[in-house]
Amino acid sequence: MRRLINILGPLLGLIFVIGLFSLSSEVRPYFLSGGNFKIILTQSVIVSIAALGMTMIIISGGIDLSVGATIALTSVIGAILLNHNFSPITAILLTMLAGGLVGLINGAVISGFKMMPFIVTLGTMGIARGAALWISGSQTVNMPETWVNKIMEQQNPDHFFPLPLGVWLTLMLAGTVAVLMRETAFGRYIFAMGGNELATRLSGVRVGLHKIFIYALAGLLFGLAGMMQLSRLTQGDPSGANGLELDIIAAVVIGGASLNGGVGSIPGALIGALIMAVLRNGTSQMGWPTYVQQIIIGLVIIMAVGLDKLRQKTR
Amino acid sequence: MNTFRRIVTGALLCASLSALAADTHYTIAVIPKGTTHEFWKSIHAGAIKAQQELETKGFKIDLIWKGPLREDDRDQQIQVVENFISRHVNGIVLAPLDSQALVRPVASAAAAKVPVVIIDSGLKSDKYESFVATDNFKGGVLAGEEMGRLLDGKGNVILLRYAVGSNSTEEREAGFLEALKKFPGIKILSSDQHAGATRELAYQASQNLLNRFGREVNGIFVPCEPPTIAMAKALRDIGKAGGKVKLIGFDSGTQSVTDLKNGDVQALVVQSPVKMGYLGVMTVVDVLQGKTVSKRIDTGVVLVTPENMAQPDMQDLLHPPLEKYLK
Repeated sequence: MRRLINILGPLLGLIFVIGLFSLSSEVRPYFLSGGNFKIILTQSVIVSIAALGMTMIIISGGIDLSVGATIALTSVIGAILLNHNFSPITAILLTMLAGGLVGLINGAVISGFKMMPFIVTLGTMGIARGAALWISGSQTVNMPETWVNKIMEQQNPDHFFPLPLGVWLTLMLAGTVAVLMRETAFGRYIFAMGGNELATRLSGVRVGLHKIFIYALAGLLFGLAGMMQLSRLTQGDPSGANGLELDIIAAVVIGGASLNGGVGSIPGALIGALIMAVLRNGTSQMGWPTYVQQIIIGLVIIMAVGLDKLRQKTR
Repeated sequence: MNTFRRIVTGALLCASLSALAADTHYTIAVIPKGTTHEFWKSIHAGAIKAQQELETKGFKIDLIWKGPLREDDRDQQIQVVENFISRHVNGIVLAPLDSQALVRPVASAAAAKVPVVIIDSGLKSDKYESFVATDNFKGGVLAGEEMGRLLDGKGNVILLRYAVGSNSTEEREAGFLEALKKFPGIKILSSDQHAGATRELAYQASQNLLNRFGREVNGIFVPCEPPTIAMAKALRDIGKAGGKVKLIGFDSGTQSVTDLKNGDVQALVVQSPVKMGYLGVMTVVDVLQGKTVSKRIDTGVVLVTPENMAQPDMQDLLHPPLEKYLK
């Protein structure tokens, strides 16, 4: 029951923004259509998959600023692998591993040297972005036509179904991660570490090792998000996903997570990602200029966190 | 309160009635690569010029002007196109950020029977109705020939490229290098550096290049507005501006025209973004009216120098009447 109340805030936010764009009788028939919600879901896939990993990290009391750069790096790696005639499945797995490796490095440095995650991942953000430009020769990497391109392709634009594979994959992964967070010892350690790291350590949990696990696991998800980016652009783009880490963190925070750690939820983060995708979609369709949408997203972030504080006080 | 409600109902009624009355009511989305550079403002002005003209002919045009949230972010521009397809706009005028990444959204638009007219930069596809743009290769050739003339056919030249994957500027760069082949006395010092999308990045790239080649270089070509301004500034920094190093730029903006007047820039290849925005909207309306349109429409380039810049037709290109259309 408490879990339900926790995602009630973001859910109301989502309903509010959908309602906002449904007010205009001119836009409503297009906005409130199955085809349009398919587009919104597809557009939120990359942020959602990355937000799954980011939720784990933020609940554990950490942060990862290198996500955007990791997505760019892995999208380039994926394109290069496909160019070297790796099968799409192998390319996807290796790309995920590459993302996992970036995460492993983040986790190992944070844990091994007891450094602040903010600083370490600020560093790896630059390293990953540089590496992406380096291995791609600062160029977008085109690749042969494979079913990788189909993962994010929207067929039948007038209907909600069939949804692209990427959307199903996101939902399945979200279910898996949610169960992992709620039902396993590892998941409970993540919450405990974020709540009180010292107490968790004193009660015998190997906090350092678990931190490495968390960042590496999140890295695998970031690698997959990179693959989704590749599928969407049909090319590896070393300068892409620039600043995306902020969208991802915003999604997690709108979804009820606290940057102090210990609090947060997977469904909340998905709703957070959806809220931003709906805002982007709706402002385009209303013909509002881009800056309006940026201002609204900013307001939503502040309101979401503000409401959360209020709720905690009254509890 | 009651009066207010009556006014609102009345307004809504009027709006829906007028929508019913005019069957030549089109909603057209114009999607630039970005919104901050003067170049895109000129395209916007051209689009509004077309809108005003069409309205005198009895059309009702709703123009939606919407760039990607972050400039140079391909995914964002794809999202904007998708959102307009699902909004069922009648037509789209698009300046694609990338010749490859925007292929699929344009194909989706064609599948959804939304005609797309491509402006400014090319697209590796044939799913669009028409490509309305400058012949960029010709623009580059014009710059190369002028460079040959300014240097009397001998000297060291730098080409500072713009950004990777930007079809329009790559064509200009290719045209420039092609034209220089006619001048065997001209040596190319550097042609593999990219300025990047912002003025700041372009400034840094210019400084770095001049630090390396500043002593030997005689002529520089840059293929669009931000690096033109940045390179002129970097040349002033090291005291090589004012014609010591011949600088040829592309496109006109307030600052680059000032630089041309002051002699820091020797020539600007100028296209007509106003015409591009204008013809983009006109062409998409022609398609909606069932007229056949040419698959390629050239909007022309000219070379503006300090000598000819005072002529009225050049002045119109250098100072597009933006205030008239953008309020």
